[in-house]
Amino acid sequence: MNFIDFAQIMNINIKAQNSNTYDAIVVGTGISGGWAAKELTEKGLNTLVLERGRDVKHVEDYPTMLKDPWELPNNDQLSAEELKMYEKQSRTGYTVRESTKHWWVKDPEQPYREEKPFNWIRGYHVGGKSLMWGRQSYRLSPMDFEANAKDGIGVDWPIRYSDLEDWYSYVERFAGISGQAEGLPQLPDSVFQPPMELNCLEEHFKQSIKDRFDRMLTIGRVANLTEPKDGRGMCMSRNLCIRGCPYGGYFSSNASTLPMAAATGNMTLRPHSIVNSVIYDEGSGKATGVEVIDSETGEMIEFYSKIIFLNASTVNTTLIMLNSRSNRFPNGLGNDSGELGHNLMDHHLSVGASGQYDGFEDKYYWGRRPNGFYIPRFRNLDSSNRDYIRGFGYQGGGSRESWVAAVRELAIGKQLKEFVQTPGTWTLGMGGFGETLPYHSNRMYLNFEQTDKWGQPTVVFDSELKENELLMRKDMMNDAAEMLEAAGFKNIITYDAQPPLGHGIHEMGTARMGNDPKTSVLNGWNQIHSVKNVFVTDGACMTSSACQNPSLTYMALTARAANYASEELKKGNL
Amino acid sequence: MERREAIKRTAAIMGGVIFAPSIFGVLSGCTATGDPWKPVLFNQSQANLTKSLAETIIPETDTAGAIEVGVPGFMEKMVNEVYTEEQRMVFLEGLDSFDSVCMNSTGNLFADLSSDEQLEYATEMNRLALSDQPMGVLNFFLLFKELTMVGYFTSEVGATQVLRYEPVPGYYDGCMPFEEVGRTWAT
Repeated sequence: MNFIDFAQIMNINIKAQNSNTYDAIVVGTGISGGWAAKELTEKGLNTLVLERGRDVKHVEDYPTMLKDPWELPNNDQLSAEELKMYEKQSRTGYTVRESTKHWWVKDPEQPYREEKPFNWIRGYHVGGKSLMWGRQSYRLSPMDFEANAKDGIGVDWPIRYSDLEDWYSYVERFAGISGQAEGLPQLPDSVFQPPMELNCLEEHFKQSIKDRFDRMLTIGRVANLTEPKDGRGMCMSRNLCIRGCPYGGYFSSNASTLPMAAATGNMTLRPHSIVNSVIYDEGSGKATGVEVIDSETGEMIEFYSKIIFLNASTVNTTLIMLNSRSNRFPNGLGNDSGELGHNLMDHHLSVGASGQYDGFEDKYYWGRRPNGFYIPRFRNLDSSNRDYIRGFGYQGGGSRESWVAAVRELAIGKQLKEFVQTPGTWTLGMGGFGETLPYHSNRMYLNFEQTDKWGQPTVVFDSELKENELLMRKDMMNDAAEMLEAAGFKNIITYDAQPPLGHGIHEMGTARMGNDPKTSVLNGWNQIHSVKNVFVTDGACMTSSACQNPSLTYMALTARAANYASEELKKGNL
Repeated sequence: MERREAIKRTAAIMGGVIFAPSIFGVLSGCTATGDPWKPVLFNQSQANLTKSLAETIIPETDTAGAIEVGVPGFMEKMVNEVYTEEQRMVFLEGLDSFDSVCMNSTGNLFADLSSDEQLEYATEMNRLALSDQPMGVLNFFLLFKELTMVGYFTSEVGATQVLRYEPVPGYYDGCMPFEEVGRTWAT
């Protein structure tokens, strides 16, 4: 090589490095990635936001949002042939429909192995699961952050509720959470938009369990707007959220955080970008960027930045870290503790009861409320007096039976057409959402031998519910039936579908926060203990699962970490 | 009555899931309905039964019936595309068995009965299906009834004219007099 060639090559490399260099990189565009993008760009950081899937523009890319039932073929069901592409994604029973199939990965293209059954439900596109999420939004409580220390389970959270309290308020004011303030210590109130209504039967049930058990029932706290906010319209009670909302009536990255990030002029959004690994520089002891596979061309590209936020979703963030192997970190980035990939949690659910109620025959409701009721945790609050620790909340709803109930009626012909015009019996059902403990033996790991079509290692799951969860499930079923019985319900049915972990789509905990680098991966600011310019603020960071739906906590942790990161960057500490 | 007894007896004899081969050849002609459905899976007798039974379950009144809103075509498409291979077999054999039971007890294929007779026969099958028979031809009747109802009540006519449908309700009121809504919500 002569001198001129060498100079040219150097020049090209420097140019490439310059054009590929940012202040910050955010990996993932779901609920937490969207928040990282918003906060970092608003702090003036030139930010590259990477998304492994395709772009999805708010409203423009919601192809089924206005479809009436008769405009969807086969009663909105997939053909048996097409359903084969979604064998795992459809295990929940409600996720994959003709009107929503474009949001889910095709299982044959995105394989994973189940040493023990695990439902890994994913959507790879801009917005991630923030487009399809259930929108239930609850704060964790002081009790939840203290629970591990008190019980000697896992490791202690490095933060307390007071560290997060203002950040909860901060994200709630922007996201828009509707709900009713109740003043419960185990379920702190959010900054609320006006609550949605309970219906007649739910009101009756609320009063009944208050009188009989001194238990609380409140309307679900949900990220659907009941008042317009920042250019987003209020919820129109269509209950078609999962298709994408033309009004921006619920919080998603696409409707909420990413437009704000884009408006700063500081965001570069790059879809079709699979992050293969984080680049670690042994000299500085920092990460310098990420290695990206362009999913369309297969090209490997490096991007550089001062700080990196990993928000690829719990399992994929962990995959990236486990796949970022170097001399310093032979077992994955920041994995000095050996805990990376372990302590996999979810909320265990699909257990509860339902029943019918005679009464309110002259009453009905208007609209399709995209929300139900919530019964906050009532077990093991002041002292643990059950044969398990921690607890569960219930989500449920009441309604009148529709025309479907007439299948099992005698009516036929003209009589049937008349019969279905009057709604059927009132029914009410509820299912528990139970806390899952962090067990070291519940883990995910990588199979480096079996790679996917982009050459990435594939994920293997090896996790299960254990005794504490199984004992809790008995209460989750029986308490529901007991409350229904006390409230005068008949034909009460209990159920326990015993789904595997992952079924709650609340996977978390595989890069947990903690005080001690020997037993945890992240510190109290969501930084990797040993690589301080890498932040992990998706579900992977969770030290315990509590029993509340976790997304609101990811939002608050992300906003807190992003603001800390930008301050530290200004101080020259990162 | 005599025919009811006959049905009961046949059902009792056949029991279980019935896999009797179709004893009917392809019949020519079909009822003039204006329904543009061209069967791709069902043979002619299965198609005739589907149309006549669906229309019996949801007939034309002051609102359109099952045939006019295209329910038979919907049903075949569901059976052909959404059902698994096994479910498809059960449905097709259920159609054949239903007609063979009908033939045994009435001397006619269901489609060849008068509309009064069809209603009477189907009403009786519905009643028997709701008794404690767990499987077989009676169970098939409820499967068929459900599929008919799904097709009809998710159609524009069924959802908006028989039931009530609001694409954009605008708000939620959790407890109001039923008469202010007037009819069951389609969704």
